[in-house]
Amino acid sequence: MPPKGSRKSASSLPTQTLVLDNGAYTLKSGLVPAGSSNLAYDGCTVTPNCIARSSRDKRTYVSSELSKCADFGELAFRRPVEKGFIVNWEAEKAIWEHEFLDSKAKEGLRCDPRETNLLLTEKPNCPSLLQKNCDEIVFEQFEFARYYRCVGPTLNAYHPAQPNSLSSLPQECLLIIDTSYSDTTILPLYSGQLIQSALRRLTVGGKLLTNYLKELSSLRHYNMMEETYLLNEIKEAVSFVAPSAQQFGQNLERTWKGRLGDKRNLDPTIVLDYVLPDYEQSIHGYARPHDPAKSRMRRGLQPLQGPREDLLPLGNERFAVPELLFHPTDIGIQENGLPEAIMQSVGLLPEALKVGMLANVVVVGGNSLIPGFMERLESDLRALVPAEYYLNISRAEDPVKHTWLGAARLASQPELLKEVLVDKAEYDERGSGWLARKFAGGDTK
Amino acid sequence: MPHVEVLPNSASVSAPGWTYVVDTGYDPSKAPINPKDRKRAAARTQGRRGDNELTARQQTAIARRIAELDRDNDPKQQIAIPGKNVPAKTANARRIIQSARQIKHWLDEEEALAQLAPAPRTAATSSRAPPSRKLSTVPPTPAETTPGPTSGFMTPLPREDIDPLLSIEKTMAPPLSESELDALLSAPPLSYAESFATLPAGGPPQRQFCDNCGYWGKIKCLKCGARICGLECKDAHESTRCLKWA
Repeated sequence: MPPKGSRKSASSLPTQTLVLDNGAYTLKSGLVPAGSSNLAYDGCTVTPNCIARSSRDKRTYVSSELSKCADFGELAFRRPVEKGFIVNWEAEKAIWEHEFLDSKAKEGLRCDPRETNLLLTEKPNCPSLLQKNCDEIVFEQFEFARYYRCVGPTLNAYHPAQPNSLSSLPQECLLIIDTSYSDTTILPLYSGQLIQSALRRLTVGGKLLTNYLKELSSLRHYNMMEETYLLNEIKEAVSFVAPSAQQFGQNLERTWKGRLGDKRNLDPTIVLDYVLPDYEQSIHGYARPHDPAKSRMRRGLQPLQGPREDLLPLGNERFAVPELLFHPTDIGIQENGLPEAIMQSVGLLPEALKVGMLANVVVVGGNSLIPGFMERLESDLRALVPAEYYLNISRAEDPVKHTWLGAARLASQPELLKEVLVDKAEYDERGSGWLARKFAGGDTK
Repeated sequence: MPHVEVLPNSASVSAPGWTYVVDTGYDPSKAPINPKDRKRAAARTQGRRGDNELTARQQTAIARRIAELDRDNDPKQQIAIPGKNVPAKTANARRIIQSARQIKHWLDEEEALAQLAPAPRTAATSSRAPPSRKLSTVPPTPAETTPGPTSGFMTPLPREDIDPLLSIEKTMAPPLSESELDALLSAPPLSYAESFATLPAGGPPQRQFCDNCGYWGKIKCLKCGARICGLECKDAHESTRCLKWA
């Protein structure tokens, strides 16, 4: 057996790092070799983080296999991540094995954990017992060589502030708005460190919006409670955020059917018909302007003509669903809207930091892709921020992969990475309690 | 054959089950006052339920609905992992992989653990009582317990020759003190329940929408209190979502 020192030096050789942003909806993953300088969004692979079972063709699809699915009708999902935290390790293990270890795994992602570092992201405020489970599985089941776990959005601080900046230090003040599948979080970062006491969270995330649209469509038109996949597709295709609260009210008027005896015409610029896929000829639906004759036909008030198709009329659902991000009280959630919550979070910081945070607001996460979201957030926030403050808010170029790219920038710098990674041998010696304290930034004696 | 006629009496008055109610806020003169009913009188002194406040039944329905909208997995459906089942490498890993707990169990356990163990004592929080686990409106910041800005090692020197009108010193934020920053950065993470944004009292009233079509909810269903926009939607509401019999 070689002496202990020699093994240590061998394991400290720079190797590749598996950067894994383990979201509830998708896994953002990619292998980053140490010292690589040409990092881009292309290095990131987005795969669904779920196991899906179709009751029609009786097949089970694991993660990326979902792209082979041709019939999304009544597709049931099993998601290992609940509320942003990895809860079900049985499913998560199957997905990781399928994506990273299996011989059929995609070429750019297949790796041997014993020769790979793992950089894994988590949501803030994770229950400590779940963190402990995660650490134990990573080292005891997967046996990664070295591992670091941290709050995902904090890694956005490693993006260079200017495109040509050579500094590898994290940005000093950064306010990240992460509006993701599970929820929306507001994270003030100081030099890449999260100010925990000022973190704020909103219940509303992409999942809640999809489920809300599903509930509304089922109540008003067809029963679609089993069609989560389809409703998510519809949400992504048609929803938009009204430019202001006043405009929201005007849109509501324009999409109202009117009273009995006082029927109004629906505004064709807002109301759409979504042609539902039948999963025989088409697997994806599409939206087109509303045709009143077609909806009369559907209700049997006019003889049927033309090809048979199922239409889902979408009126105020288009903007009332994403409006929940700005008015969660509309369905009774006792929380502030996003702009007020940002002010609540920033209000807990000292004056000097407040100025710095509001001048560096970056929005990441898939909900920010809803048309009109950024404009609404900026105008609502500007109205709340004192006039003498400079407000600079921007959306990341690719809000879904941005956190992954930030993590990849950290992983590509061996000297930064060396400080945070933990060796498997060290874990075996000191145990998971020590590791949890180390990752929490506490004393490790 | 005797002539039979139905005479109108108080029991046969046809009640439509709904009415247009002008929403003018609270009128104390209309409040039913029964001086003998001490329990209700005591409840009234604490304030009558506002128009936007809800009955217990409505609150339960809303809480249930939000939980349903925010749910990740359907506990009723079981999807088995395909392929061969490789056994876990250690007993610990096996225990974690086979665990069937859901997120609510973990969050409850975390809450219970936090109540058992005293709050971690850091330099910034040692002078304070452990924070209550209830959802407080605004969690106390560590900045409260730290001293104000220390001696002005960063404040610019007073310059006599600058016109006070042109001085920008007043508009600049006071510099960050080292201890304040340390306290902020070393503050322990909040628990999951504490991390949510709260709704301050006295904000604008909640917007009300038609339960059926999503237009403004201008009238209330007399049976359950949900908002509807007109007669058409009232019929649809009663046949589907009315909470009267829920």
